[in-house]
Amino acid sequence: MNSIVIPNLWRFVGMVLLQGLLLKQMGQAVHTTHFNVLLYPLFILFLPIQTAAPYLVLLGFAVGISVDIFYQTPGVHASAGAFSGFTRAFVFAAFSPKGGFSTKEPIFSPANVSWQTYLYGASAFFFLHLFWYFSVDAFTFVFFGSIMLKTIIAWFISMIFVVLYAALFNPKI
Amino acid sequence: MGRLFQLLLKNGGFVTLIFVELFCFIIIVKYNTSQAVIWANTSEIFGGRLMERRQKVTDYFGLQERADSLARVLDSLQARLANARVMQFPLRDTFFSISFDTIYGVDTIRRKSIRPEYDFVSGKVVENSITNANNWLLINRGRTDQVAPHMAVVSPQGVVGIIRHVSDHFSIAMSVLHSQTRITASLNKVGAFGSLVWQGGDPSVMTLKDISKHFQDRIKPGDLVSTSGYSVMFPKDHPVGTVISAPSPDPGNPHFLVVQVKLSQDMSNVSDISIVRNLYTPEIDSLKSRIKQ
Repeated sequence: MNSIVIPNLWRFVGMVLLQGLLLKQMGQAVHTTHFNVLLYPLFILFLPIQTAAPYLVLLGFAVGISVDIFYQTPGVHASAGAFSGFTRAFVFAAFSPKGGFSTKEPIFSPANVSWQTYLYGASAFFFLHLFWYFSVDAFTFVFFGSIMLKTIIAWFISMIFVVLYAALFNPKI
Repeated sequence: MGRLFQLLLKNGGFVTLIFVELFCFIIIVKYNTSQAVIWANTSEIFGGRLMERRQKVTDYFGLQERADSLARVLDSLQARLANARVMQFPLRDTFFSISFDTIYGVDTIRRKSIRPEYDFVSGKVVENSITNANNWLLINRGRTDQVAPHMAVVSPQGVVGIIRHVSDHFSIAMSVLHSQTRITASLNKVGAFGSLVWQGGDPSVMTLKDISKHFQDRIKPGDLVSTSGYSVMFPKDHPVGTVISAPSPDPGNPHFLVVQVKLSQDMSNVSDISIVRNLYTPEIDSLKSRIKQ
């Protein structure tokens, strides 16, 4: 049990601090609202595959609200986190190997699934997360064009970090 | 209950998501300025539309009440108008600066000249006829509403009839379209007056009889006819109709003229009426009884 909880706990703390202290500053250093990097959804993506949906939603909310403390936008990241926790199951269903995941693949990482599957899954997962996040951030679909533009740009930049993270740490559990 | 629980368990993720997103929504609009502004505007628009619809529905169901209250307002205005017309001259110079009600209460000297003479009771016509030689109206006001025989019935457009029989909650009025109707009416412009009778036939036309012959040339079609005020029942200057024909000698009494008058109140379509109560009827009646003795 501890072998599952401890790595995820570290990832939670690490992602929140990385996002809140480093990536947020990066986004603000570039003087445009279109430059955003979100990496903390990786925490939700790397939660054990067997995690039940309600826990995913609640953990997504938890990581989101923690990031919100740094961004001073109560509820916005939390909403996106909870949404991602819910949609993760659908992303996995779309990119799972034939017969579904087994206990040999505790988490959705390149070490367990192939790099290709990881990239496809992470791409879809991040796109959904970012789209929800910028929609809630704008809070109206009047700015739909702006929401889409922000989503696509942030998605490109974030995916670089998603690849880097997986290459550097190569998490197995 | 067990099924519901299973359903909840099966869709636990979705149910949790709904609750969490609701919670997020609340804290977003509560603690984020820009989102709060957008939400406030949006809810105002939709809330406004909703309120508007609700108002329309409640308005519809309140129409009856509104109509009744308007009828009461009309009564009080008609009463004030009728009373203003019988006011005497001493008040003329202060007419616009002092309200009639305030003077009536306190000023004992002026009070005699400006005392109110009429009171109006609003009602509805429940039954009406126009095809007989003698037509009657049934009105939903009676003794409990202080209605008594020999009170005039008017509508905002014109004269309607005279109360003849009263029960506790209803009264029967002799329509103006009745062979015995005699209403003193005057031609405002020339100052002539005569008595208005109905000779049968067209229910929208009455005959004004007993007009002095020297008005022959001055009466023109289109002249307004109104109540004369030489009557205990009808207040002065209430509209009656318009002249539609040049005056002609009365066949029965060639020293007088008759004119045809088109009634301004369509008697086939009379619904909202007011019953005019002269506050001094008993006094006037007892006074009149002396000359009969």
